Amino acid sequence: MDTRLANTWRLTVNEKRFIETALSSGIRIDGRNPFEYRKLSIKFGREDGSSEVQLGQTHIMGFVTGQLVQPYRDRPNEGTLSIFTEFSPMADPSFETGRPSESAVELGRIVDRGLRESRAVDTESLCVLAGKLVWAIRIDLHILDNGGNLVDAANIAALASLLTFRRPECSLGGEDDLEVIVHPPEEREPLPLIIHHLPIAVTFGFFSSESLLVIDPTHHEEAVMVGKMTATLNANGDVCAIQKPGGEGVLQSVIMQCLRLASRMASDITKKIKDAVETYNTERALRKIKRHPTSITLDGSVNLKEKLNEPSGHNVVNELSRKHLEKPRLASAENASSPGNNGEGESKSSNFGRSSRRDGATSNFVGGAASWDPYSRGVDSDFLKASLASRGTLTPKKKQQDPTGERKPNESKPEESPGDVIPTTSAMDVSETGVHKGGEKTLKDAVKPKHKRKKKAFSSTADAS
Amino acid sequence: MEAKPSTANLVDKIVVPGDVVLDLSSMTNQTIKLGGGLRQECDSVSVIKAGKLRFSKPNKYWVESSQKRYVPCVEDTVLGIVVDCKADNFFVDIRGPTIAFLPVLAFEGGTRRNIPKFEIGSLLYVRVVKANPGMNPELSCTDASGKAAEFGLLKDGYMFETSTGLSRMLLSSPTCPVLEELGKQLSFEIAVGLNGRVWVNAESPSTVVLVSNAIMNSESLSAVQQKIMVDKLLQRIK
Repeated sequence: MDTRLANTWRLTVNEKRFIETALSSGIRIDGRNPFEYRKLSIKFGREDGSSEVQLGQTHIMGFVTGQLVQPYRDRPNEGTLSIFTEFSPMADPSFETGRPSESAVELGRIVDRGLRESRAVDTESLCVLAGKLVWAIRIDLHILDNGGNLVDAANIAALASLLTFRRPECSLGGEDDLEVIVHPPEEREPLPLIIHHLPIAVTFGFFSSESLLVIDPTHHEEAVMVGKMTATLNANGDVCAIQKPGGEGVLQSVIMQCLRLASRMASDITKKIKDAVETYNTERALRKIKRHPTSITLDGSVNLKEKLNEPSGHNVVNELSRKHLEKPRLASAENASSPGNNGEGESKSSNFGRSSRRDGATSNFVGGAASWDPYSRGVDSDFLKASLASRGTLTPKKKQQDPTGERKPNESKPEESPGDVIPTTSAMDVSETGVHKGGEKTLKDAVKPKHKRKKKAFSSTADAS
Repeated sequence: MEAKPSTANLVDKIVVPGDVVLDLSSMTNQTIKLGGGLRQECDSVSVIKAGKLRFSKPNKYWVESSQKRYVPCVEDTVLGIVVDCKADNFFVDIRGPTIAFLPVLAFEGGTRRNIPKFEIGSLLYVRVVKANPGMNPELSCTDASGKAAEFGLLKDGYMFETSTGLSRMLLSSPTCPVLEELGKQLSFEIAVGLNGRVWVNAESPSTVVLVSNAIMNSESLSAVQQKIMVDKLLQRIK
């Protein structure tokens, strides 16, 4: 009892008075201005779906895992999403193991509401076998250090881990197609979740003087403030949730002001999260490529013994090219050279390095599923040479395209594109799954699935050869 | 372990527990005072706490290290927060392993009739009178001769917590570079406790915030770097 008394953190009368006086002159103790966020850093672990977020002194880790379970009876077509928080006693002397405190439950609830009610995570795509098997996504948030404003940081950690999580691909097989085969990551590239938008939580602190309002309160400010409010919005300006747990009453005009501020903050933070995730995805793809360095000869002969990991290279390309072009360029750089060469999709783009893709900027695109022919015979060496010549920088790295790999960029796109594209994407995915069975790599796999958007028929020139 | 031939080797150097610092058999008829972090084992003095070995004339040795935890030592001046008021003691938190007691009469001219009233959460500048391991330390608001000597309640201002090493640096003489540079341009009042608590007061809140942040950031900087940092900060204000 004595040690507990000794270890409690206490606020002095001096600090309380000082924080309020300083705030009335617009100064905060760490030198920020009242509507400024602390420094945010988002890092990822080696595993997909693990993130570490630091907001000033607040430190939170998020993990996302998935499991196949039976769906709820009233929602047989939807997967489930659940959030668990762990308030480690090392984060704050007032946290205790065992029963979660009121603030712990509140934090879990705010993050959960932001994701579930706004339907940020697409649960219908998590269905594997309607009524029997769906994916249950579980988000674990571990609080490592309490420097104030746990809600915002926890929300960012949850979003960052969801964006980088990959679930194994499942296909139906066996007799009657009722048996679900879960493919291990070595066999088939795991898929990201479909996330429609990013709901960002922004917390405000109110002080005893009416007009005093701060964003992102620190631990000391939290002890002094008399009321708080958390608004969850996304970058599109939609208000997903608002939470005001008791405290002082607040004028309606103040609430509107808060919402306006919050939407500005939300777009900043969304950008930061997306940048961090992009960097991570690029690194991830790089990691996979490095593991399998293979060489390629420029005369067009291609080594067919590709490993699944290679395709992720295309991901990188896609991610990178996405930055430069509006349409994701899958596959062969050959396509980049001339609009007419639609069918070149299937040629061995493995010849072309990532850099080439970038400048390649394919203006044309390989059409929809209907127009490519997975049974093409291979690369046209002449064409290859021509394209190589037309390009400037080429790194003869070998990359095998795997259509499943392509799906990744496609699926991650939905977060940027409005909802209407997504249903088509999912539809495409389903059809594609049908086409690619088993792990054997043949030229078929070299054919890149077309980007869904450009499904409008391309001239079915099909074969390059 | 063999004893080191001469202690001069280890003074101001980093030592770890187990290092033998002094060989007493070679020094006779000398009185040596051992401070924190050192222990006498028969004929040798060995280190029990990692840190830098320090020596001050004429004969005091101790080990200095910077930690966030404070271990109460006699004659330390610390900043405490009042936790509770009882009949004959105030309970004061000095950031040590246990709560310390401040007798109600330990003030200059203190009698049963004029017991000071402190509200919970007040900040006091006090001196440690007794600090035995395992017992609650005892404090006093007077110096050894019974005078007030600046001890007592600190009004207004802002308090922040740092490591014990930083507070020792702030109290060192000659004046620590950060404080010197800040003092050239700004006027402020500061109270430093050896338990890592620092109190700053000034006319305007911006000065207080500036001084506090400058001190908090100066822990790992050398003297020159501290000067540069303060210069930059002050220029930005101007």
